[in-house]
Amino acid sequence: MFRLFVREKPKFWRYFRYAFLALALLAASFTLYLDFRVRSEFEGRRFALPARIYARPLELHAGLRIALNDVVHELREAGYREGVREGEPGWFARSADGLEVALRPFVFWDGVQAAKRIRIAFDGKTVAAVRDAEGKDLPLARLEPLPIGGIYPANNEDRVLVRLAEVPKHLVNALIATEDRNFYTHHGFDPRGIARAVWSFVRLRGLQGGSTLTQQLVKNFFLTPERTLSRKVTELFMAVLLEIHYDKDEILETYLNEIYLGQDRDRAIHGVALASLHYFGKTVDHLTLAESALLVAMVKGPAVFDPHRHPQRALERRNLVLRETRDRGYATMGEFAQARAANLGVSAKASMGTSPHPAFLELVHRQLRREYDEADLRSEGLRVFTTLDPRAQDAAERVLARKLAQFDKGKLFGAPGLEGAVVVTDTQTGEVEALVGGRDARYRGFNRALDAARPVGSLLKPAIYLTALSQPARYTLVTPIDDGPFVWKSRGAPDWEPANYDGKFHGAVPLRTALAQSYNVATARLGTELGVEKVLATVKRLGVERELRPYASTLLGAAEMSPLEVAQMYQTVASGGFRTPLRAIREVTTQDGKPLRRYPIAVEQAFPQEPMYLLAVAMQGTVREGTAQSLSNWLPPETAVAGKTGTTDEQRDAWFAGFTGDRLGIVWIGYDDNRAARLSGAGAAMPVWGELMAGLDPEPLALQKPDGIENVLIDPQSGLRADSGCPGALELPFAQGSAPAERAPCASAVGVAVEQVKQQTKGWFQRWFGK
Amino acid sequence: MRTLLAFLVLAVAGCAAVVPDRGAPPEPAPEPPAARTENIAIAGLLDGARADAAAGRLANAAAQLERALRIEPRNPRLWQELARVRLKQGDYAQVEGTAARSNSWARDDPALRAENWRLIAEAREARGDAQGALVAREAAARQR
Repeated sequence: MFRLFVREKPKFWRYFRYAFLALALLAASFTLYLDFRVRSEFEGRRFALPARIYARPLELHAGLRIALNDVVHELREAGYREGVREGEPGWFARSADGLEVALRPFVFWDGVQAAKRIRIAFDGKTVAAVRDAEGKDLPLARLEPLPIGGIYPANNEDRVLVRLAEVPKHLVNALIATEDRNFYTHHGFDPRGIARAVWSFVRLRGLQGGSTLTQQLVKNFFLTPERTLSRKVTELFMAVLLEIHYDKDEILETYLNEIYLGQDRDRAIHGVALASLHYFGKTVDHLTLAESALLVAMVKGPAVFDPHRHPQRALERRNLVLRETRDRGYATMGEFAQARAANLGVSAKASMGTSPHPAFLELVHRQLRREYDEADLRSEGLRVFTTLDPRAQDAAERVLARKLAQFDKGKLFGAPGLEGAVVVTDTQTGEVEALVGGRDARYRGFNRALDAARPVGSLLKPAIYLTALSQPARYTLVTPIDDGPFVWKSRGAPDWEPANYDGKFHGAVPLRTALAQSYNVATARLGTELGVEKVLATVKRLGVERELRPYASTLLGAAEMSPLEVAQMYQTVASGGFRTPLRAIREVTTQDGKPLRRYPIAVEQAFPQEPMYLLAVAMQGTVREGTAQSLSNWLPPETAVAGKTGTTDEQRDAWFAGFTGDRLGIVWIGYDDNRAARLSGAGAAMPVWGELMAGLDPEPLALQKPDGIENVLIDPQSGLRADSGCPGALELPFAQGSAPAERAPCASAVGVAVEQVKQQTKGWFQRWFGK
Repeated sequence: MRTLLAFLVLAVAGCAAVVPDRGAPPEPAPEPPAARTENIAIAGLLDGARADAAAGRLANAAAQLERALRIEPRNPRLWQELARVRLKQGDYAQVEGTAARSNSWARDDPALRAENWRLIAEAREARGDAQGALVAREAAARQR
């Protein structure tokens, strides 16, 4: 059989046949391969969607302290535009007593909030009332939260998906009229289109794309942007295959979601839905013909026809698109004329890039990574609702940058300049409201708030005093502490001989003064008396997870911590002994709003309230009469801030930690390379803190006196009990029964009787309350 | 006993009569907001949370209460309501922390404190800590 076959055919034909067969086989398998690719990739086509990160929503209610302008600012940031536009959401207008807002619909963690009109009345810097369109009082109105960035897929592609049915007909028509007028009739490629392109090229009318929408989609979807003949052929093949398997609407919908429509810094804008939000601040279903035409105009070259950078060019191209739309019969003369007369209408929204607050985003990203795969974060379109307060964040960024520039000017160190970090939290809920990782807040680099572990200096002192005040039988606010020369000897370590900031010794000082003046020697003596281990146990209970070395020098802040760790430690102080893990995330949902996870408030009472109260009162003393006295340049005494300054050896690090009634703030300033900054906590970090907090209208710190605390008049001279007969007597808090029993010489005899009664009643109290 | 009490009242009155010097630490202490709220936002959220909790939507109930707490973080009723939701959720450690937080703001409301201690007792019982539950019940009985 074989021989016969060989004999019958001449050699040439035999080879030709083999070659042909091989080629056919190759072509067939190539087609099959392409078919497989087209189907598998298109079938399971799932655009990688970034995790979308939101700030906290602003909750408006009667009594909220916020100025009208701050609400307007937030609305603008969210893309709302001023001026009434009946029939569509996303605008606000000023009225006689406040604002009228047409809220856009938004899917919150706990459900959809429909579009609605609200009226907000203001009374000075306070919201007087929130009402609906009919004038009925609303208990609460939630504004949509600001997007503050995302965790993006490769190439930082950002997009919002949309269904074809939600895309206005005139947008689709303009696209087809301009890019592929035979879209609904061709089979993936358009010979007439190609001929037209060639004809136009020949007549020197310039290069026209002969690609159909299907071909464009294939090119963007499956292929790299090279322009070679083989690529063109593959593109054609795949376009035809795509048309065989899918109907026109599916192809069109995918095209509308895929198309690249511009760049926002490092973020690539894909799809008409995101482009609509990005350029016009509205959802795609509300686009006018003119706006639609502008998006279509950008298809050809988003950079070339960028309406922000090249408005004239963009306008001309838009009008060309409008003409094409009219000529194809998709728009009437009237519609065309109206659209042509409209201006570009793009909103002047500040560019955001992948995030305007990369430092905070990094904190969010790290917390998310504990529960989610990196790949899922970059593709599943999760929606993450965070705790960021845009007002606090903006203020923190602005103040830090300005102050650092100012400090740099007074220094002769040259570049690189001073750096800094800020953390702001809510004292009661532990939510992180702001986080700044360096003076250039837009730069996503070294995040000092999270990663710069620096010696904390005196910021550790409150832990020592708290340890002492937890033993009321031994230590009260007036217990004298010796601030005389002190040497600490321990085996295997060099002698430790702490010195005071002013280089002097102050003799016996009351405990509260030792803290307020941040005396090192007295504190070192107190700390070693208590025991380093015991102090470190307090630090741990305050919420610091890092293991600190059990050396005496740790007491004076040789320990290194990041600003965020310091914030966690002070959070427990600010919330009266209740430890609350700092949180940056409230909720996570799927892209369509299904709740996935909540990050609830967690509280644990880590300390009894009494010593915490005493500590907070002592820290108020730091601000009132101690190292942080000049805070009064920014905040009035009524704010009653509790704070602590921190300065490390050779002034390499300047710290300030403090809290008001509503916010805790930590500020660090220093050089990255650890040079001596010659700046003190009070001189550099505190001004940043003061200016920042003053701008946020702080709630005064009204400490609530726990049951086990009594106020006793004390004669500051002797540290003994005083009465109204003693000039300059101070009323100071003591854990019940711990106040000095002895009376100062100035105290009159009447008081003695009262005193004796109290001494007698103590035993009774103890039996009753078991204290 | 009665005489002692009389003395005690006298002593407290004596203390209160003393006028502190102007250099005294700030005790302008407008004591934290009262337990009962005038705020319709809080009332709305509280109602919503109770409805959610009754319908078994515990996570939503907790979320509404947290929204309310962001507005009035010193409202002991909100903390207590949250403790109640945590109890239903079986998060017993958080019942303790949250009820204690409520107690810390409910100085002048013994009934509320007693209820907090009862919640703590229930949480301890659920955890099998009979002894601890007993201590909490005794504490509840002591509030007045």
